[in-house]
Amino acid sequence: MIVQELIFYAFSLVMVFAAVAVITVRNPVYAVLFLVLAFFSAAAIWMLLEAEFLAIILVVVYVGAVMVLFLFVVMMLDINLVPLKEGFIRYLPVAAIVAVAMAIELLMVLWSRGRFGVDMFPVPPPHSADYSNTRELGELLYSNYLLPFEVAGVVLLVAIIAAVALTLRTRPGIKVQNPSVQVRTRRDASVRLVKMKSEKPRGA
Amino acid sequence: MLAQYLPILIFLCISTVIGIALVVIGGLLGPTRPDSEKLSPYECGFEAFEDTRTKFDVRYYLIAILFIIFDLEITFFLPWALALDTLGMFGIVAMFVFLAELVIGYIVIWKRGALEWE
Repeated sequence: MIVQELIFYAFSLVMVFAAVAVITVRNPVYAVLFLVLAFFSAAAIWMLLEAEFLAIILVVVYVGAVMVLFLFVVMMLDINLVPLKEGFIRYLPVAAIVAVAMAIELLMVLWSRGRFGVDMFPVPPPHSADYSNTRELGELLYSNYLLPFEVAGVVLLVAIIAAVALTLRTRPGIKVQNPSVQVRTRRDASVRLVKMKSEKPRGA
Repeated sequence: MLAQYLPILIFLCISTVIGIALVVIGGLLGPTRPDSEKLSPYECGFEAFEDTRTKFDVRYYLIAILFIIFDLEITFFLPWALALDTLGMFGIVAMFVFLAELVIGYIVIWKRGALEWE
């Protein structure tokens, strides 16, 4: 048990450090990479809670796909560092209000359960080695939580349509091949036989 | 159950140590004689023509975001496949309804030509 706590504190320290670094490093690319580190530590902590599926999905989806997209955006919008710093003082009051409000909300949630701490949450009994967290999740998700699951599908569909609608631009005046038309073409469309008299060699 | 993950933890520790060691040893033992010409950015022997951060085509972003959406869709398959023997026919129907929703999205992508690259 003490080993588990040590591992937990190690990953938590890394995560807090990475999270602070995300908002303090100057280079946005480094910030994104620190966010990857924070996600990875969170995945390790989930693994300690025996939530294996969530941990793996966090690595596969967030680290593998979403953070790639973040890097893309950071590199795509040619971010100049100087204008980023300009609004800092001007937006500080608004940001402070939002931050304080969020902190109060968090505290209210945690306070309503009493003082938060390890002793407030009972330790779940450890599972045997053949217990499959993913399987349990599947049995619940596709029976009890069927409606949220199908709604998730609709949300993904909306995301697809929105992404296509927002980013798809067709540039006019670009020559494209249309393979189906190419394949369906007939001989008459491109070959024309011309009847003409045979020419005689000159001087004959 | 967590004891089964001990090899992965050892693997993580060793790879972290190796990663740090490589950088530190290289920094300590390698010769560092920088001068202004060595540190200046270059581009095939010329002065750099432009900034590194150029604007990408938004089309790359579209491909990436479509990838993420279908990646998420795939993640739903793993618990489904593991629990399928207890879910039975009900589970199969549930998953095919979900798939049908995403096939609609796929048709939209295909018909709008979002996967074409001009």
